[in-house]
Amino acid sequence: MIRKNRRKLIAASAVIAAGSILLAAAPAQAAEQGVSASSIKLGITIPMTGIASPGYNKIPGAMKAYFNYVNENGGVNGRKISLVVKDDQYIPTLAVAKANELILKDKVFALIGTLGTASTKAISRSAQLGSRGIPSLFVNTGFSGFADKKAYPTSFSLLPSYQMEAKVIGKYLDENYAGKKIGLIYQDDDFGVDALNGFKQAGVNFAIKIPYASGSQGVAGVAGTWITKLQAAAPDVVILFGVSSATAAALGNAYAYKYAPKWILGSVGGDATTLAANKVPPAFLAGAKGLSFAPAPSDSTDEYIKMFMEVNATYNKGVTFDNNIVAGMTSAFLAVQAIKSAGPNLTRKGLIAAIEKNSASFANPGLTPLGYSATSHVGATGYWIGTYDATGALKPDGGKYTVYTTDSGTGAVVVSTYKRPAMPAKGLPN
Amino acid sequence: MKINSLKKKLVVLVSTAGLVLGVTAVVPAQAADPACTTASYVTTCVGATSDTAPYMFITTAAFNGTVLLWSHGLRPNVDIPAGIPGYGGYKVTNTPEPAPGGDKAIIGALLGAGYGIAGSGFSRQGVNVQQAVTANVELIDIFKKKNPTTTKVVAWGASLGTLITQTLAEKHPELIDAVALVCPATAPTDALISYFGDFMWGFKTFFDPTIKGFGYSAGAAGYAESMGDLVKFFTALGKLQAGLVSGAWPDTSSPAGKALETAKIPSRSALTLIGLMAGVPMRSEHIDGTSGPTGSEQLFPLAIAPAVAVLENAGTVGLAEVLLMADGEAQSGGIVFDNTKTDYAARVDADKDVYSMALSGNTAIGAMLGVLAGSPRVTGSVAAMAKAKTLLAIDGTIKDPTVLLTTESDQFTVAGAGQWMIDGYSEQYAAAKAAALKAYGANKSYVAPANNLVALWAKTGAKYTKFTAAGSPDLSATAGAGTGHCKYSPDQYVAIAKMAANAAKTGKFPIGGPIATAARKVGLSYDNKFRAPLFKSLG
Repeated sequence: MIRKNRRKLIAASAVIAAGSILLAAAPAQAAEQGVSASSIKLGITIPMTGIASPGYNKIPGAMKAYFNYVNENGGVNGRKISLVVKDDQYIPTLAVAKANELILKDKVFALIGTLGTASTKAISRSAQLGSRGIPSLFVNTGFSGFADKKAYPTSFSLLPSYQMEAKVIGKYLDENYAGKKIGLIYQDDDFGVDALNGFKQAGVNFAIKIPYASGSQGVAGVAGTWITKLQAAAPDVVILFGVSSATAAALGNAYAYKYAPKWILGSVGGDATTLAANKVPPAFLAGAKGLSFAPAPSDSTDEYIKMFMEVNATYNKGVTFDNNIVAGMTSAFLAVQAIKSAGPNLTRKGLIAAIEKNSASFANPGLTPLGYSATSHVGATGYWIGTYDATGALKPDGGKYTVYTTDSGTGAVVVSTYKRPAMPAKGLPN
Repeated sequence: MKINSLKKKLVVLVSTAGLVLGVTAVVPAQAADPACTTASYVTTCVGATSDTAPYMFITTAAFNGTVLLWSHGLRPNVDIPAGIPGYGGYKVTNTPEPAPGGDKAIIGALLGAGYGIAGSGFSRQGVNVQQAVTANVELIDIFKKKNPTTTKVVAWGASLGTLITQTLAEKHPELIDAVALVCPATAPTDALISYFGDFMWGFKTFFDPTIKGFGYSAGAAGYAESMGDLVKFFTALGKLQAGLVSGAWPDTSSPAGKALETAKIPSRSALTLIGLMAGVPMRSEHIDGTSGPTGSEQLFPLAIAPAVAVLENAGTVGLAEVLLMADGEAQSGGIVFDNTKTDYAARVDADKDVYSMALSGNTAIGAMLGVLAGSPRVTGSVAAMAKAKTLLAIDGTIKDPTVLLTTESDQFTVAGAGQWMIDGYSEQYAAAKAAALKAYGANKSYVAPANNLVALWAKTGAKYTKFTAAGSPDLSATAGAGTGHCKYSPDQYVAIAKMAANAAKTGKFPIGGPIATAARKVGLSYDNKFRAPLFKSLG
């Protein structure tokens, strides 16, 4: 009897020992940083001041407005979302410091909407988002590299890539300005490299290309030299592929120099209210071409835009509704979808998996489907082209959104057949 | 009760009397019994090991059986004339150093806690790891003979002293019970040489091709060449400082450098590029990389600050390059640096966006890299490079409980050295764990391997740059935390020493909490998830 019990004890000890090893191998599930039973804390670092800030500094307010709307309607899986905002002034090294503050001091669950290719790359590398497993949701940059899951395993793009955008512009030029002289002003870093790759794939030959180092658009006299160079080369069409402050500097100096080619504004620097904040009157834009992947902010017939307008009016009072508000609310809307999809036991790992697995069913204000999968973190995949009117509103050519879709590789640019699913009731993700 | 009051008395005595380094006992010329004097319960012994390395050790009447054996950092092995601009003079010394810098506060705290302290001045300066290890082995024996109650030996050191300490721990684990590596230089020899060599090669290629940098002659001629290099290097550095805003290049610049100047690429962009490709920290004692003076809040950090940080860090890097290369070559018999296959474009690829404006954009980066790609490279001597490895050889294995303290923005012993140790130990620990699990499968007896490494960081603050009324960075202001070379407070040194000594006593570190608390108390960070970039040459 004693022996039998002893054997049992030995067997039990072995089981316990094995269990201990398993427990040691698999650490106990700790509460996820930034998540409690009733709250989720997200963080954003973005230029709130400085030369690149006008316009972009409205994005966090728009996000907060949508989160507040969701919170007042019960939150997500019972949790209310808060957003901590930091100002990085569009300085990559400062963006790293701010991201570290968000992660280490504010203890956010995830980053959302970091803005700028250089800042977002620097954050990812220096704050070690990948190895720490920290999600970086819906980054505000179209650098194609962020769709690379291997390089940026926890980052998700939202904007179509700059390469896609350049390819779409290339198709437009081919169809409308074949044989004409084309000029380009672009940011002389990976933002611009992405665009150059796209233009090359589209077969665009430039009469003149003017690179500018990021930040130099704010140096007195620099933008003036762009215009004198353009005047000398005399292109028929000039593409401005930079941030808003660079677009504004180019347009402002062009006005001063009485230089008026046909302008095509890249989506990053093409928001009229942002340009107005940079002292470019909307009338300057009349007749220029622009691109967008989301419905125009002036299109109150669009159910998402209508809902965003209402949310903005209630939760973001007094702030002019524009592309930046649409961008911020779109990111917030997708974040809510993703968090809801990750289920009640919210973890960073679970959130990333949910986006990779379930994004095909996410409602999305964008006019192209999202491309997230287990192998790719590409977001939207196309643009529509429109013309600015004298009020600065970008109106789709032909009176409807004809969306061109493509990839960041050698794929063709084709008209999208995507039919956007209906918005969930009250704009609250199911 | 008696012990406690004696300890208290000792703390007061040691810290107020300041006597320990004031001892002027005659140091015997070679190995002999140490000469000891005792005053106010403090016994100070001096002597020399068999290779004439002077040493000093100190104990108190309340010696607790644990001795802390300190290895100091790099001291030049040649006199440096006072006329070197930007540096001043230096006279070779082998004064024994039983605690960091002979700091009285550290010594007082350690003796007051009952520890014995010991340290040598070594028989040779410069690259002296082998000689220093030999001296330390002998010193341990001498200390134990004089203090037979010794039970534990903690080896600790800073900078080059960490290579001495780690080598000692790897070669003589039987003599050591715990280790502390402060501002570690613990890295593969190639990586250390590459860091300094890449910087100087880039510097001379752009700014003064008459700087030799490598391949110094033997003897007096080589000494003259190296001192001449220091003059040229610091002179060019001064000219770069003068041209920071205007972008002017030194008049000593190479033809290719002057062509870049003609192409309107500012010298600060070339300096930033060199810093990035070598892996020089982009933050320095007075440049946080994010602050700007009023009116230039964005342009300064974007366009100027990276170059100022490199400039501030460069003095140490250039000086060390000349001294270490000259000594390393003399000991190895030839050139120990080789960059014939180095892809400098790949080195800066991940950084070029972040520092885009400082580098003047991709077009300028392409032009500068083009110059580097077309410039003659340095071909090392295979035999000399092999010999150099024996001078600094460590494999990074951790056998005893080890405390590692790394500064995030250290320009001399860059943070990559600490990270290399951490990464190596991760692999070592994983292998030990796998072996333990395998053993469990065989005999159902699982013994989890002990964690033998505590990695602490002096992290660089986000904002600390001060500006003068004229809008220039104030380089005389208090240095930022987590910057500079081995700039630790006495409290931090003492905390590290005690952490290692406690582990020596118990054979292990406590789990997480107490370490984090002890670290936080002295302004250090215990963050297992933090990663510093590795040496550029290690990818």
